[in-house]
Amino acid sequence: MKRTAIAGIAGLAAALLLSGCGASGTPSAQADPNATLVAAIGGEPDKLDPQSTTSYFAFEVLENVFDTLVEPDQNLDMQPALAESWTVSDDQLTWTFTLRQGVKFQDGSDFTSADVVYSYRRIIDEKLANAWRLSAITDISAPDASTVVITVGQPTPNLLSSLGGFKGMAIVSKANVDSKKINTAPVGTGPFSVAEYVSGDHITLDANPSYWGGAPKVAKVEFRFISESATALAALRSGDVQWTDVVPTQQVSTLQSDSSVTLGLAPSNDYWYLALNEARKPWSDVRVRQAIAYAIDRDAIVQAVSYGTAVKNQLAIPKTSKWYTEYAPFSTDLEKAKALMAEAGYTGGKLDLLATKDYPQTVTAAEIIAANLKPLGIEVSIRKPDFSTWLDDEGKGNFDMFMLGWLGNIDPDDFYYAQHHSKGVNNFQKFSNAEVDTLLDAGRVETDPAKRKDLYAQAAKIIADEVSYAYLYNPAVIQVWSPSLQDYTTRSDRAIRFRTAYLTK
Amino acid sequence: MRVSLGSVARFMGTRLLSSAIVLFGVVVVVFALIQLVPGDPVRLALGTRFDQEAYDALRAASGLDRPLVEQFFSYLGGVLTGDLGVSFRNGQPVVEILLSRLPATVSLAIPGLLIALLIAVPAGIWSALHEGKVSDGIVRVASQAGVSIPDFWLGLLLISLFAVRLGWLPSSGYVPIATDPAQWLRQVVLPATTVGIVAGAIMTRYIRAAVLEVAHAGFVRTAVSKGLAPGRVTFAHIVRNALVPVLTITGIQLATILGGVIVVEVVFAWPGLGRLVYDAVAARDYPVIQGAVLLIAMIFLAVNLVVDALYALVDPRIRLA
Repeated sequence: MKRTAIAGIAGLAAALLLSGCGASGTPSAQADPNATLVAAIGGEPDKLDPQSTTSYFAFEVLENVFDTLVEPDQNLDMQPALAESWTVSDDQLTWTFTLRQGVKFQDGSDFTSADVVYSYRRIIDEKLANAWRLSAITDISAPDASTVVITVGQPTPNLLSSLGGFKGMAIVSKANVDSKKINTAPVGTGPFSVAEYVSGDHITLDANPSYWGGAPKVAKVEFRFISESATALAALRSGDVQWTDVVPTQQVSTLQSDSSVTLGLAPSNDYWYLALNEARKPWSDVRVRQAIAYAIDRDAIVQAVSYGTAVKNQLAIPKTSKWYTEYAPFSTDLEKAKALMAEAGYTGGKLDLLATKDYPQTVTAAEIIAANLKPLGIEVSIRKPDFSTWLDDEGKGNFDMFMLGWLGNIDPDDFYYAQHHSKGVNNFQKFSNAEVDTLLDAGRVETDPAKRKDLYAQAAKIIADEVSYAYLYNPAVIQVWSPSLQDYTTRSDRAIRFRTAYLTK
Repeated sequence: MRVSLGSVARFMGTRLLSSAIVLFGVVVVVFALIQLVPGDPVRLALGTRFDQEAYDALRAASGLDRPLVEQFFSYLGGVLTGDLGVSFRNGQPVVEILLSRLPATVSLAIPGLLIALLIAVPAGIWSALHEGKVSDGIVRVASQAGVSIPDFWLGLLLISLFAVRLGWLPSSGYVPIATDPAQWLRQVVLPATTVGIVAGAIMTRYIRAAVLEVAHAGFVRTAVSKGLAPGRVTFAHIVRNALVPVLTITGIQLATILGGVIVVEVVFAWPGLGRLVYDAVAARDYPVIQGAVLLIAMIFLAVNLVVDALYALVDPRIRLA
């Protein structure tokens, strides 16, 4: 039922897009090469160093300024970017990348293999936030100016998605880092360069005419920081901005019927889930966890947190991904839940549910979950600390249950290993299953994609059956833009790419 | 009436000294409060992928691992030398960040206060002098409405009318006055009107009350019964004596607006102090929060000092007190 509603919205968005494309063929809709594309984003980046920021606002801007060695296409398959091609040795331990010739940084200096080595070494040696993505790497070298050799300790089939799936792995310029200007005036190799940064107000990018992928079709992109969605939508409707993602989910149905704007809706790769503390009784008993998974009303949660724009999912990976596995073992069934509780000899009691005001959806969902578990005799008390306290409590195992999401994953290893391997760094729920460990370890080194997909499908099913996580939904990426903006698509990885976009006159 | 400069100077001297003491108190409170706020900024900066080594390194780099007393004295030393530390988020000096936001706030506060005065002075005086009449009722209802309207809602109303529906003015944004005065003016109209209406409504009620109080005073009755012209009574006796409370409320409103009108700045995406505080609190950027609160306290003290000096000039009784 809810799923059809999503299909309807997505279908309509597609129809709007198609009609937009149709219009671009008419002579009145020519690209304006001198145009400035103004985009409203929800806040100011904390800093513009792609390797050390963790702010999505920063990545919205930096997606257009920096490049990675490889990069995800619309289907999130890795394509050449700064690396033109690559080969893997027979033992799968040596990756040799051939770099694109003639690429320059926006300050005019040449891009070479030394920049790649420097960038990755910086992430690893300075233990920057994304160092874990490079944990498989044992050595990086540059035998000549256009070749980079990466050695890994074990076969690493997801190396490309680790190197390119995320702009935090961008290739930076040593001179820019050394000058300490990278946080406010970063220099990349991407389609746009940072021209002006007015703190609190906006960042303006200039088109990079010598971009290796072809010059952009607008002269400038201005990112304005507008945290209030009513203001952002008013700015869009009055023509002051041409694109925004500061859109509350409850506005989607209104925007859908508004012919003066184009709505872009894509299921994201993010997922939200519940986890029960398996180091504590009675949650250590799989039957009690399953009882909770049966008691939860996922439809009600999706409706409440997203006005029906999210998609229910009982595994982590969304339908749009090539790694998707269809599996939905739980339905809302109180009788089954009660039977499982009786079998486990648990008659109910208190449950400490950790939510956080910083992610309001966890609070909304927590209230529904509390109501869902009441008939089972489980008295839920909801705690709503700020996120840093939340993280502390999660790390110390100070919870019975928590709800949170994981964002921006591409490879199945990102989705499952750290969270469900008994030695996983983010396995705060203390799930431990020897078979899952074996499957996840095998998936890490399996180079045959079909076999690899099968390994993760097996692991994911056990993870869901044993309720290491009770998966809830994949939220939608919601963006809206003026019909004058053409050749722009909403991506499921939330990357905002304006490199080919243009504005009609 | 003879104004003795000596007594004014003495009066201002004591005021300056007490301001300095208040300011020291503010530094202590600001420092202490931040320590009590829940949430570890270092933990937050690292996010969900956490490792103890990175945590310790960042904590040491931000000086948060040192004893509290040591942290306080190094902070106090910094404040005295104009060094408020660097932002946790991006390492920019806090003083630089504050100074970069001040022009936007000042260039909203001054037109906002002018609009408020333009509304409040005539409306407040008129309504007090016509107490009980229909026009007084209208002013009272309108000012009550102005006080009650959330500035958030008023701002959005103005945007949807003048920017979206009529297309006369930009919906939001800011350009420095020095860069493009015409564009600055177009962009400041709506936020300044929002600020002005809300502040103006508050001030109207104060001015009306102040004028009423004086109008009912014995010396006014004497002046009227002496047969002085009504205009002379109004301006030489009533308005002049009502100036002190009017100055007070104007000073408070000016300091409030200068301290950053958070809601209006957020609605109009105006890059002033209010939005800086809003963003810094969300990110638990302690040094920026501390610096901003300190700056806002200094603005209040400075405005109060100016108002005090004006009191002393306007009303000789005050400087002798």
